[in-house]
Amino acid sequence: MNTPLDQVLPTTRRGFLQLGLMGTATLALGSAVATLTGCSSALEHNSEYKFLQSEDREFFAALIPVVLHKSFPGELSDDAAMKRTLLALDDLIYTLQYHNRIQMRQLFDALSMAPVRIIAGASWASWKDMRPKQVGEFLISWRDSIIQPKRNGYVALSKLIGISWYSQPESFASTGYPGPPIKIPTLAANTTITPLSTNTTSAENT
Amino acid sequence: MASKIFQEIRGISDPILEGINRGWITLDAGDYTEHTTLEADVAIIGTGAGGGVTAEILAKAGLKVILIEEGPLKSSNDFKMDERQAYKDLYQENAGRMNKDGSMSILQGRCVGGTTVINWTSSFRTPEQTLQYWTDNFAIKGASKEEMDPWFEKMEKRLNIAPWAFPANENNSVLSRGADALHIPWKTIPRNVAGCWNLGYCGTGCPTNAKQSMLVTTIPSAMDEGSQLLYSARAERLIMDKDKVTSIEITALDKSYRPTGVKLTVKANTVVLAAGGINGPAMMLRSGAPDPKGLVGKRTFLHPTIFSFAEFENEINPYYGAPQSIYSDHFQWESVSGPVGYKLEVPPLHPGLTSVLLMGHGESHFDDIHNLPNLSAMIALLRDGFNDDSEGGAIELASDGSAIVNYPINDYLWEGVKRTHLTMSELQFAAGAKAVKPAHVDAKFETSWEASKAAINTLSYTASRALVGSAHVMGGMAMGEDLERCVVDSNGKYHYLDNLYVIDGSVFPTSVGSNPQLSIYAMACKQATQLAEKLTGIKRT
Repeated sequence: MNTPLDQVLPTTRRGFLQLGLMGTATLALGSAVATLTGCSSALEHNSEYKFLQSEDREFFAALIPVVLHKSFPGELSDDAAMKRTLLALDDLIYTLQYHNRIQMRQLFDALSMAPVRIIAGASWASWKDMRPKQVGEFLISWRDSIIQPKRNGYVALSKLIGISWYSQPESFASTGYPGPPIKIPTLAANTTITPLSTNTTSAENT
Repeated sequence: MASKIFQEIRGISDPILEGINRGWITLDAGDYTEHTTLEADVAIIGTGAGGGVTAEILAKAGLKVILIEEGPLKSSNDFKMDERQAYKDLYQENAGRMNKDGSMSILQGRCVGGTTVINWTSSFRTPEQTLQYWTDNFAIKGASKEEMDPWFEKMEKRLNIAPWAFPANENNSVLSRGADALHIPWKTIPRNVAGCWNLGYCGTGCPTNAKQSMLVTTIPSAMDEGSQLLYSARAERLIMDKDKVTSIEITALDKSYRPTGVKLTVKANTVVLAAGGINGPAMMLRSGAPDPKGLVGKRTFLHPTIFSFAEFENEINPYYGAPQSIYSDHFQWESVSGPVGYKLEVPPLHPGLTSVLLMGHGESHFDDIHNLPNLSAMIALLRDGFNDDSEGGAIELASDGSAIVNYPINDYLWEGVKRTHLTMSELQFAAGAKAVKPAHVDAKFETSWEASKAAINTLSYTASRALVGSAHVMGGMAMGEDLERCVVDSNGKYHYLDNLYVIDGSVFPTSVGSNPQLSIYAMACKQATQLAEKLTGIKRT
């Protein structure tokens, strides 16, 4: 169930939220401006994503190949690898509890705005138009920032992307991981097995 | 090129499916479409180490028990050794749980069986120094080594705990080899396994049911006695009347772990809180439980855990084989309450988790992870809570009532973090590593101990530079007779409510100083046995 929180948050509650992870004046300002100008869009109707809005996905789509470097797209096509990683990220962030989920929402909203991107050390260009070199410079500026929330942001973003990709079987070859054994479930008498969750592919199918 | 050691696992029967076939009362809260009230003699909130042990003892004493679990009911047929599935189904917040400022990742279970389903099986008795510290500083009664030993023995027998009898995997051998070279004592880790296949996938749910987690031991035993298991059910708050808990308000959760909108009520004469050191105190705070000294959720301890990576010429295959089998306490008790002590162990390295632990991005991160088979890692677990400068964290509530773990890492701990980097680096080189890198954003692989030492001495020790994680949540509901410092008594009874007991890792008034599962099992066994006697009036042996 998509709780109202995720939908309502971007446009109404922003100003009242305490900033932690992204608690710089810069980003708070960005968030406030995003709210006032209505720049923050809600999740599209019928989206297959539960949390990531289209602009959030553009942001991650810019970061993912830069963070993952040569391991990406692994044994998948670029498009399939991107979609797999985005869906995994969406699932992960959606499952975070309120506090950390809000930190993410604030970060994405702020970085979707060109003036905030400039102040935050990224480019004026929108994320989908940014060159990998510019994205790399943004990541390094956050990694090496004297502002702790930016450093935390760097660690959080690279961590989320890493775990979302490197746990995909199609990335295993890029690390040399031979993969787990195949598990053949055993039916109990008179029992049917519940199907696996639908947006993961089981290892034995790869 | 590394290759699979086991190709296939089949022929493992699923004890949960079989139990359900035998008629166990398992209730998925997400299936309820309207408000429903369930009743029992005892309601146990949480099904991990504390709740599982308590359920078996109370059910066998003839009490009608209901177990309440926030997470889903998953079992060996679901355990595919797949990080994605495991984190989503079995871990709090998809393994993404963090402290408030995002500087620490916290791995904690959220499923029937709790963290015991996903831990790495290390089973240590509570160190004698820790028991003494609790007795001296918090006036805990009945927790001396002599008084606890029978309870450790009992749980060791129940869960088949014994030192790992097979050779350590290569990853763990790095620790013993390095320690030998430096004349540092080490030991073999006792594990709670029966017929272990030595696969290496303890952390994604044991696929062979060898791990003697609560899921395959105490919970089935309680279920066979007719207990009810209500899962996908978050205990929202206690409903109280004067000095008694009268019922528990439950939020039903759907498959995405979001509220379905349906509330349930559980009524019980006695309530046992066993929801762990984060969610337990948060529920108490949401409930507005009496807490005159404001101690609930304070002194939360995490064994802040530090990582160091090493590259070897030979294959380590750090994802295969019993994940933890060697440890050293050489640096743990140099002083009980001085500079922070630490336990040395080894973590398994599966690629998803490893990518996080290595930190960084782009080319250098890829260079670090692309030869995973030849990588090894070591961890140091800081023993927090034994010094005035180590008061741990505090559980706070977000505006939706969920828990926030406010645990900043202070200078006392950072000093320890740096020491552990030096120790682990020296050990890894002594074991023959060709290059070593502490988990720190600014660190690189260095090819000699001298170079590594020099590099570590230039690193900045502050949040989001050095990696700090946690897999052990303790404290928040300190136990003892000192009312200035403690909220539950030495029997686990909440000081300010007549029929509420807290039986889990949250009652430890400091960190344990070793992987906490056996500490929780033994204390739960002792406290639940006393509780069963009190509730039934029958003395049990």
